[in-house]
Amino acid sequence: MWFLSPLFWLGITAVAAPILVHLVRRTRARKIEFPALTFVRQVPQRTIRRRTFRNLLLLMLRCLALLLIVIAFTRPFFSRRSSAQANNAAGATVVLIDSSLSMRREQMFANAVQRAGSIIDEAPAGERLAVLTFGNRYELINRFTNDKARLRSILKGLSPGWEGTDYEQALRGAESLLGELKGESRKRVILISDFQASGWNQANASYKLSSDIQLQTFDVGGSNPPPNVAVTNVDAHGVVFGQKYTENLSVQLSNFSDTPRDRLAVDFQINDQTVEKREVNLNARETKVVEFTGFNLTEGANRCVIEVMSGDFAPDNKFYFTIRREAPAKALIVESAARGRSDSFYLQSALNLTDAMPYNFTVKTAGAVDPAGVSDNALVILNDSGPLSPALAENLKRFVENGGQLIISAGPHTDANSFNQSLRDVSPATLTESVQNKASESVAITDIRFDHPIFEVFRDSGRLAAARVFGFVRSQPQPNASVLARYEDGSAALIEGNAGKGRVLLFTSSLGPSWNDLPLTPIYLPLVHQMIRYVGRREAGSWYALGQSFRVAKEPKADAPAVDAPDGARLTDNRLTADGDVLVTGRQPGFYRLRYAERPDFAAVDLNTTEGDFTKLDFGAFINGVTGGAGKAEGREATRNFSNEEIESRQKVWWPLLFLALLILLTESLLAQRIKMAKLVN
Amino acid sequence: MLWRKKTTTPTNSLGTAPPSGPGPARFLDPEVLARIGSLELLARAVVEGFMSGLHRSPFTGFSTEFTEYRQYNPGDDLRYLDWRLLARTDRYFIKKYRADTNTQCHLLIDTSASMRYSQDGRISKLTYAKFLTASLAYLLNRQQDAVGLVAFDQHVHTHVPARSRTGHMRTIFGHLSILEAGGETRLAESLHELADILTRRGMVVLISDFYDQAERLQSAFQHLRFRGHDVMAFQVLDKNEIDFDFKDPILLLEDAETNEQMPVLPDVVMNGYRARLREHLDEMRRCAAANRVDYELITTDQPLDYALFSFLSRRVGK
Repeated sequence: MWFLSPLFWLGITAVAAPILVHLVRRTRARKIEFPALTFVRQVPQRTIRRRTFRNLLLLMLRCLALLLIVIAFTRPFFSRRSSAQANNAAGATVVLIDSSLSMRREQMFANAVQRAGSIIDEAPAGERLAVLTFGNRYELINRFTNDKARLRSILKGLSPGWEGTDYEQALRGAESLLGELKGESRKRVILISDFQASGWNQANASYKLSSDIQLQTFDVGGSNPPPNVAVTNVDAHGVVFGQKYTENLSVQLSNFSDTPRDRLAVDFQINDQTVEKREVNLNARETKVVEFTGFNLTEGANRCVIEVMSGDFAPDNKFYFTIRREAPAKALIVESAARGRSDSFYLQSALNLTDAMPYNFTVKTAGAVDPAGVSDNALVILNDSGPLSPALAENLKRFVENGGQLIISAGPHTDANSFNQSLRDVSPATLTESVQNKASESVAITDIRFDHPIFEVFRDSGRLAAARVFGFVRSQPQPNASVLARYEDGSAALIEGNAGKGRVLLFTSSLGPSWNDLPLTPIYLPLVHQMIRYVGRREAGSWYALGQSFRVAKEPKADAPAVDAPDGARLTDNRLTADGDVLVTGRQPGFYRLRYAERPDFAAVDLNTTEGDFTKLDFGAFINGVTGGAGKAEGREATRNFSNEEIESRQKVWWPLLFLALLILLTESLLAQRIKMAKLVN
Repeated sequence: MLWRKKTTTPTNSLGTAPPSGPGPARFLDPEVLARIGSLELLARAVVEGFMSGLHRSPFTGFSTEFTEYRQYNPGDDLRYLDWRLLARTDRYFIKKYRADTNTQCHLLIDTSASMRYSQDGRISKLTYAKFLTASLAYLLNRQQDAVGLVAFDQHVHTHVPARSRTGHMRTIFGHLSILEAGGETRLAESLHELADILTRRGMVVLISDFYDQAERLQSAFQHLRFRGHDVMAFQVLDKNEIDFDFKDPILLLEDAETNEQMPVLPDVVMNGYRARLREHLDEMRRCAAANRVDYELITTDQPLDYALFSFLSRRVGK
């Protein structure tokens, strides 16, 4: 028998009360000198003895009733872990302890560790035990050992993590570990978790535990998940080039409970200063987007926090991100020296339309470009520029190889041979022939990789295919190049390639209206912006997910900066890239401080947003899914070991105990009444 | 007769009359009397108060002290005919005188340990018995009777011979005041011993709680009667000895004489105790009646007047 609230055993002292009263009253019998004791002695003492017996019976009934009430308050229950205990044959057991973010609730992780300790203690002698913790990934805490003391001491040092939950990974890890053992008669995996639904994707579940492994589970999460509201996403530009943030910053809030939450305050802070507050009402299981815009940013990195004041599970109420305000870089558009309207008119118009572009563009003809000045730019666009001088071509090659970005578009002035000769070292493709069709025989751009950052925003629009292309150049992509879009005849439309440290995009048609009507369509402006942003690499993310690695670039004339974790600890186990940059993996939510010499920078790391949904797993489906059905003929066995609260709530032993106590008290009352009546009659 | 009015008053569980009468000034509460330090004063207060309440003396007789005339009836003793009145008025009248006496009375007081009992600090049975003894002694002395005092427990330990002079009272009161309860009760043996000591016939007033077997007492009474004594017995009990009414749920009773202790549940024992005590008292009454002993049960909460009334009413027909 176990007790859910053992502290109530202190109430056992109440049992002493009637005993003390009995003893005190007994010892306080008044002594009186009485002359006529002769007559008292003649009264049969049997009556007195019966009274004494009745009094003792009353005392016992009172004590028993109090004892039952105390036991009822301790909420006893009978453990059904007999299946685990009955199997006393020594074998191998892997104890899987859920250390995901959701286990930070209340004392959940401590309970899980305690349960693991009990399992270790109760394991039969000779049992080989291993301990793993898991979130999205598993971590081997201790390999198989018989040393229970060592395992118990290791358990004391465990703490919950910040990751999400992935039961499949955990079970795979346990099975892999058990697979190292040969000849074990009994293999067992004990899974201790809060069993969140988000930890197992039933739809995509294909993994099954090996048939010779027995799975046992312990649920420490309780049966009623608490309500929770979380900030699940923030969509913001990580880099801006103006003082004011002119676009919409989208904040996604989710209510993971079945009860609506009203008047939730949402606080938007920049560099620890609240810049705006909102109030939000969330219906049950609703996700709502709140937008912020028009706020000012200081130069450099701005630490931004969105916090929802919901008063529930705290870790997911904050969302961290950074917005870096930078100065626009110089960019050069090179065009041909043709008469009439500049072929770059539409391109220039599209690029200068907004202040949010990371570049300040300058348009020059190929002949007007100073080859030595190419390297002053961060981006060069060859917009049907025609033949290039060898010096310019050579400088462009060095520019790209040193990390400069290049966009090339073909057009009526593009000669394949001249192009191939000048740009063969940087172009992602060699041009073969020009194709010029009649307007009625235009082709569309149909085969598009929408998973590419350039095209992902057009995934649902379909308008890209409506553009008509009359002329393009056929090309032969380089082996290391990738084709991002093709015309309907299969020819490459947009090719991406790398040269040295630089990135090159080749559009085989024109960025002006000469070979297509793209500039006349609404798709033109976003397409050009996407290409510029992508190739320019100046569009950084505003936050990283927990577990994601991010690069911390080294300073130009120094080593990589030191990095401090959100808890203030200096990171020492960072990986270095070949370029001397640092790769940091986010393991804590919050701001990582990048200690550059000139000014500090920050990187924001956020939690797995689904972890805030504490909805319980469909346990039957889970067991069936990972074992192929409990108690099947093949010998698989999976038993659900409910949490103590669940077992107690199912058994409700306290009910009959209280009922019995009530009956005893009634009996005591009747007996006492009878004795009292007898006194009165006397 | 005033004392006959008491027969109409309600009785307690054992049929004894509770203290009641014309008014509180009439009967003095023993508790109030206990505040009087001197037994002589106490006895005087009781007896004088008692006597002044009477309209006339019941003890008329042929004594030297004239009390009244009455018409001569044939057969009257001519010695009491008032010759002078006959000479003056030619009428026959008989002169009546206050009765004269030369009776000696011994007051026997039990001082055994059981007489020490008192409930809740009220006066003890012995104290009450001493008050009663003093009052009776004073009353008797006032009537010129010779009064003697005998105190006993298992043996006679105090004996004041009977005298009728006034100064004798101080001797009696002095002995009374130093009496202490103690020793065992061997009433029958003590009475036999007394019967041998009191050789001259007279009145014997026995004041005790009579915790002895009735059979043994009967022989003692017979012995006294055989000696020609006129015996009157006052059984003095505390009210709680009769009712056994204790509020405590449990008591540890200790025998006053043997020191034997016994745990008792009063509510359980009460009925049985009362029944056995009633049997004992009934036996006492039968025993006294059989030996022509005037028996009276009084409780320590009853006024002393009640005992005096009882005494005089018993004596009036003697």
